Order: sequence, then C-alpha cells, then structure tokens
Amino acid sequence: MTATVHPTHPEETAVQDTAVFDRIIDPTVGPPGDARSRTALAPRPGDLSGLRLGLLVNTKRNAAEFVEEVTSVLSSQHGMTPVMTRTKPSIVHPAPDEMVAELREACDVVVVGVGDCGSCSASAIADGLQLEKAGVPTVVVVSDAFRVSADAMAELQGTTGYQYVTTPHPVANLSREGLRDRAAAATPEIVALLTGPAPR
Amino acid sequence: MTATATDPLATVRQAIEHCHAQGWTDGLPVVPATEADVAEFLATVDRDPDEVIGTQAHLDRRVTVAQAAVNAVMAGCLPEYFPLVLAAWAAVTGEPAAQGGAWQSTSGPSPMLVVNGPIRQRLGVNYAGGVFGPGFRANATVPRALGLLVRNGFGIRPQQLEQATQGVPGRWQLCIGENEELSPWEPFSVGGGVPAGTDAVSAMLIRDCEYVDNRHTEDPEALLRDLADTLARTGAYLGMKHSTGGLVLGPEHAQQLAAAGFGRADVQQWLFDAAVRTQADLRAVGKESHDAEPGPDPMPMMPSPAEIPIIVAGAANAAISMVFRPFGWSTWSGRSVPVPPTAQEASA
Repeated sequence: MTATVHPTHPEETAVQDTAVFDRIIDPTVGPPGDARSRTALAPRPGDLSGLRLGLLVNTKRNAAEFVEEVTSVLSSQHGMTPVMTRTKPSIVHPAPDEMVAELREACDVVVVGVGDCGSCSASAIADGLQLEKAGVPTVVVVSDAFRVSADAMAELQGTTGYQYVTTPHPVANLSREGLRDRAAAATPEIVALLTGPAPR
Repeated sequence: MTATATDPLATVRQAIEHCHAQGWTDGLPVVPATEADVAEFLATVDRDPDEVIGTQAHLDRRVTVAQAAVNAVMAGCLPEYFPLVLAAWAAVTGEPAAQGGAWQSTSGPSPMLVVNGPIRQRLGVNYAGGVFGPGFRANATVPRALGLLVRNGFGIRPQQLEQATQGVPGRWQLCIGENEELSPWEPFSVGGGVPAGTDAVSAMLIRDCEYVDNRHTEDPEALLRDLADTLARTGAYLGMKHSTGGLVLGPEHAQQLAAAGFGRADVQQWLFDAAVRTQADLRAVGKESHDAEPGPDPMPMMPSPAEIPIIVAGAANAAISMVFRPFGWSTWSGRSVPVPPTAQEASA
C-alpha cells in the first residue's frame, strides 16, 4: 500500500500549532489588580544607639519570645530602647493600618517576626513593606523553611529581592535557651539590615 | 493510517501538553478551554461574567465568574455542572475555615463538598458505593474545578505560596452526594438552612479521613464508642482549644443507630460526651493545653455536639463509616448553599 504523502514544511506546522494554542484561554488572567509599584525602603540610621525599637509579632508559638530575645540583645549591646510591642490580630493578613500608624508614631525602627508558617511568613513580608512605605526602617525575621513563600509575597508586592533575615526552622519547639541562641545568631544580620544602606 | 504531525488528534495531545507547560494544571491533563467552551458554560447561569466571586486581599488577587468557567472547562466538567461549581465555590469560600490563609497553610486542608437534592440524579453525583471516588465525573471534576481556580486564579501553587507540609490525600477531589434514600434522618442540607428536596451543596475544609469498620456488634453504644475513639485521638489535637471531627456514616451504621432510637442530635451528644481525653493523656504526648485555662479533666475533644457534622453516604453493603477532621476551630459554618437550575432548565 502506498501512502499518499502530503509534503509539509516543519516550520509551517509549528506556526499553525502556535496559532491554535494561542486560542486556548489563559486561566490565570483575572481582573486587573491594584498595580503595586516597588516599595522604596526607608532611609537607614547609621547607628541604633538611643533609637526607639518597636516590635510587631504574630501569635505563632514562640514568635513573641524570639523577638523578646532579639530585643534583649539590641538593648544591651546596641543601646536601643524598646518602646512598643504590637501583636497582629491575624497571622494571615498584614497588620491593620492603625497598628502601622501607632508603630510609626512611637518607633524609630521595627522588628517583625516570626514568619514561621505558610501564610504568616508571606504576611510578615507584607508588614515589612508597609512599614518601610510608612518611613520606618524595618527588618522581618522568617524561618528558613518559608523563604519561597516570603519571596513570592515580595514579588507579588512589586518588590522582588526584598531582603529579610532568616533563622533556621523550626522555631515553635525551641526552649527559651534555644531561642536566646537563635536570637543572638540572627542579631548581626538584623542590625546590618536596619543600619546599612537601604537595600535596593 | 499512522499519526503524522498533521493528524488532528496529535494536536489534541500537543494542546494538553501546552497547558502543562504553562503551569495551568494540577498534574493531570486539563481540557484546553476555548472562548466557545466558556460561553457554553456561562450560558448555564444568569451571572455577570465579570462578577468577582473570590478575593485574596493579602495577595491582591480576585477571581471572576468567567475565570470559574474557564477552570471548570479545564477540570473536565460538563456545562450543566457549572451552577453546582459556582454554588460549591460560594460554599467553600463562605466557610470561616477558608478565610485567610487556608490555601497557603502547612496543614494543607481539602474542601469536602456534600451534595443534596435531586441534582444528584440529574448530574450523576455519586452518593452510594465508592462515594469517595473515583469513577464518577461530577464528583471528580467539580472539586477539581475549585482547585484549579485557586491555583490559576489566586496564583496559589504548591511549594510556592502554597506551603502544605504533606497535604491531605484527595485534596480538591472530595465531593460526595448524601445517600438521602437510605438515610434515616433529614438531609444534611436541611441543617444548613435549605429545605429538603432543594438542590444544595455544603462545604467543609478537612485534614483527613479515617475509616471505622465495625460490623461486629448490635449494640449501638459499642458502635458509638468505636467512633468516639477515632474522634478523640491525640494526633489531631493541636494543644489549644479542642480538636474537631465529623462523620460520614455508612447507611448501615446510620440505620443501626436510628433503629435504636438515636436521632442525629442524639448521636452528636453521645459522641461529644464520649470523645474525651484525660489531661494525663495529653501531657503524655507533649500536648498539655497551651490555653490560659487548660480545660476540664477529662477534656472534651469535640468543640460542641452541634459541631460534629454527620452525613450519610455510601452503599448498604457493609457496616463501615468514615471519620473526617475539619480544619480550624469552626468545623462547619452550618450554612448550605442552594444550587439554582441551569438557565436552560429554568426556562424549560
């Protein structure tokens, strides 16, 4: 049996296929969101000594304790004055506007922590960005298991590459001594991000 | 005849591969959606295609009726399933447990949809043997459409914004009809505020399913004790407030209990009273309560009798039931969502 050969040019086939596939509807295209422009970070102080420190914590286990230990190092070794701690009402949603306003009013710099779950790590990044936007130099602490989620949120917020501090996962099961060690280990990087030139 | 590059069937596979390559699928093939397909789905409902039906404000993402239609086509739904897809979406997104970060959670919960009313026969929603699947198109594709909408519409993808540690088997695949025909009690959706005989869907987010096989006793309390044992296991307790639990009773267990005089509320009360753990049990597994008030001893593991949802589904061929575990503290909102007829049915 002789097959009837229809000569085809591969490039023609390819063009035709692409055209067909272009008609497949992209399921990811929704209503236009609020365009998020890149968040410009607040100007950094050269030195932390004498500055008022604010803390923004979530209700994840050991989050407040971790941040307390960081505070202890920042006050004893860097001369900071802790003035305010606020606990987010939701681990998922960024801190409400009133809370951001309070922190901006009372504090020179803020530490946010600890992003140690699927949604709160992303939410902590959003908090860092909204505080920076309000003019408050801020550093966010996230457990290293949630880098991807934190980075994805920074990208969603238009600020790809936003820098934060990581501490090894897990945090929730640490004893107070364990938290103290972790906090001590994270502090140099926290200080660097708070004082250094505003990253990107 | 051999397939060639110009064989139209070869294009079908290429189109499916194209969808995979775009990252639009959950790992299984999807139906590539065209404008004509989507128009056909939208024609079944009297809704504005641009109506926003879901929001993840913290992610700056919204989804519309039209996007739901696209993802329903892709999931393999028939057009006449679309009113159920939209009602199921409303049911899921209306649950307190689905607010906020549920889709990003390390817990990785799955919606479980429960369908009541004549729509089960009309769409072929399975409520009898093998109710948890697979093998029934509506049961398989309706929850999948919701999962694709979360993935594609909200942009919440595994190992990215979605951070499930393990997730739950059957995630986005759990849709069961209630076996109203063999249930001794009123339809589940009546408790959700929709009259019997009206098409309705209810949704919960769940973290697991565990069978209870008890074909061994005529004593209803022995059966209830067996169910309570699974409800009260410590692994599901998070060291705060309480655990959660619900039942998909097989028809035999439901009928056995009803024959002994138990209404649904009686079963709930009995299980609430029996599903307890001593404080010593909780301490022994490192889960002493972290609440300000550690609670009584023994400690009720269920939040309240009314918050133990009980559904009847499956075949009457063995005395087997399923315990499921709602995610979060709210178990079930107690609200079922009516499913309107398709526009075509309504005008017929």
